[in-house]
Amino acid sequence: MTDTGSAVRQVEVWGGRLDLRLRVRGRGPALAYFPSIGTPADDPLVALLAEEHTVHIVEFPGTSAGDPYAVHALDDLWDVVLAHEEALRTAGLAGAVAVGHGFGGMLAAELAASFPDLFSRLVLLAPIGLWEDEAPVADWLSAPAEELPGLLFATPPEPVTGDSDPKAAVAAAVAAVWAMGCAGKFVWPVPDRGLDKRLHRITAPTLLLWGEADRLNPVSYAKRFAHKIAGSTVTTLPDCGHAPQWERPTDTHRVVSTFLGEVRIEGLDAGGNRTS
Amino acid sequence: MKVTYFQQLPYRRLPDDFGLRHESVVTTPYHDLVSPEGARATFGDAMEELMHAARAGFDALAVTEHSQTSFDVCPNPDLLAAALAYATESEGLETAIYPLGRSLGKSREPLRVAEEQAMLDCMTGGRLICGFPIGLAYDANINNGVPPIQTRSRYEENLELVLRAWTAREPFTFNGTFSQHRAVNIWPRPLQDPHPPVWITATGNPRTMEHILRSGFGFNYFGWFGARLTGPRIFRRFGDIADRLGVAFNPYRIGFMQVIAVAENDAQAEALYGRHVEYFFRNAIGAMPLHRLMLPGGIDPRGVEALLTDPGDTGVYANMRTATYRELVEAGCVIAGSPDSVTEQLTEISREFGFGNLHAMLQFGSLPTALAKENIDLFAAEVLPRLRGVWEDENHPHHWWPQRLGGAPALDAAPVATAGGTR
Repeated sequence: MTDTGSAVRQVEVWGGRLDLRLRVRGRGPALAYFPSIGTPADDPLVALLAEEHTVHIVEFPGTSAGDPYAVHALDDLWDVVLAHEEALRTAGLAGAVAVGHGFGGMLAAELAASFPDLFSRLVLLAPIGLWEDEAPVADWLSAPAEELPGLLFATPPEPVTGDSDPKAAVAAAVAAVWAMGCAGKFVWPVPDRGLDKRLHRITAPTLLLWGEADRLNPVSYAKRFAHKIAGSTVTTLPDCGHAPQWERPTDTHRVVSTFLGEVRIEGLDAGGNRTS
Repeated sequence: MKVTYFQQLPYRRLPDDFGLRHESVVTTPYHDLVSPEGARATFGDAMEELMHAARAGFDALAVTEHSQTSFDVCPNPDLLAAALAYATESEGLETAIYPLGRSLGKSREPLRVAEEQAMLDCMTGGRLICGFPIGLAYDANINNGVPPIQTRSRYEENLELVLRAWTAREPFTFNGTFSQHRAVNIWPRPLQDPHPPVWITATGNPRTMEHILRSGFGFNYFGWFGARLTGPRIFRRFGDIADRLGVAFNPYRIGFMQVIAVAENDAQAEALYGRHVEYFFRNAIGAMPLHRLMLPGGIDPRGVEALLTDPGDTGVYANMRTATYRELVEAGCVIAGSPDSVTEQLTEISREFGFGNLHAMLQFGSLPTALAKENIDLFAAEVLPRLRGVWEDENHPHHWWPQRLGGAPALDAAPVATAGGTR
């Protein structure tokens, strides 16, 4: 494998109506990364994963720079799943490891349930997609901006102070707001599109990783995911909120790489090749 | 000038400190605050005031739609309009019935809207005017579950379906993204030909303004954010877009909603209406946090950027929850004073902004019916007659008004390219 450095791949899908973008980092076996929506930059977990993998960060339609209206090409969740499946196969990522967080975790789970052969392994970081009245997923789309850090983190970081470029701040806010709107198209008002009925179809070895202090998507959902996905394992992190890849990147990476290592022992070498 | 009596249905018995104690007026707890008598009075009072205004000679009665809120307890304005349709028809009152806010970005049953309003047009004998706003985020998205990013596309499709349902001579199949109907053949069709006048309420989005102008609809703008602050910006923008599209200026294309309080003089206006004005602004618009009016995806990225870099379109909104009567008067949120003063101010902004339809909001907040009627009477007797002639000298045809009530035949959808749109 050669280090791809930092590159962008553009994959034409959906009958030519959509260009889906992948940001590529690192080197090693292929890994498809489905980030949480509204994330302004690659999270710290990406850099750690990129030490051993070629990480393809899948940009959700509408969130790619300069192409906000791409989201209009997709009407419903089935469109989303099919367009992503096309993109992953076209990009040669069939058989890759998939890692997804939150909304991205739901998307990875939907793909794995719809196309059980698509991923070799699945890592879901606090995926949304299930609903229980007793443990409502927070209404992140209509929450006031000042409440979002408290939903995302067990210990919200101090607000950044000091001089910042006002234009850049506006651009970042516009992008983050629109990205949330793009995700909201497919999960509003209740993030339950029937994933519960499809989870049993997932056959890829699956790790569920959750912050125990997740105030956006309560950790109680981990058990229900695990119950539906045969052979899945659950790891929870204490004192960690909805975004372990931001709040506890080293611990998160250790758990994920251990899981991927264990799976390797079961039949794949460090390069992701079958040993038998 | 056409002068409409504009009515909302506020719950009038909220505690004075409601706006400070509660997160919003669109998440108001019901059983903690509402008495059965208060709920019943909400409708009885409003009907009494509306009919009083009709008898006093207003050109139209306008009502709006808002679900799950205490500031306008009117989840379907067509219900109110139906009662008004019969009552005005039976009294022989030649006033238009104007459900000014039937949100089509919110509606999941647009065909029902088309049917209800066709019924209303028949019930009024062709006195119906239709207002189709896109919809407020809290109502379309939070109350009705429409994903914010789909509000506008749903609105556009729904409007297309309503207009086709009204005008099609033969049954048709509608295969939309949000609605599918094997055979659309509504009963009844509207009386007015081709259909009742259509108005769109907008808050300043240039894209909506362009849509209004291209479609030949009327444009309504509400002055709650402070007419003196936002009016010049909004109407200049509308005029600029009209210029660009080559749409001729016509004041009757524009409607403007204004809170108005008339008394013998300024001091008496403050004494009579001050606390009710404060109740309205603090417990209605002022108690709607921004995150319930603007949801991610509901506003185009360019629109979000414009709002973040220049929030001028929101006027005094940010301080409304604690605004005083005098601050509200100063910003133009309310026009108050003697009949002469009110007439002068309304005439001045009518000419400046270029509107030929005034929606006079004469009941607001906790204002009791007796006082609302005084306001209506004084306005109708001493202000309204002097506003009627504001645009008479220019002889513009009013294409956005029912022909039974003196309106000119409707415009074609394609605007006529003549002189520019600004004055």
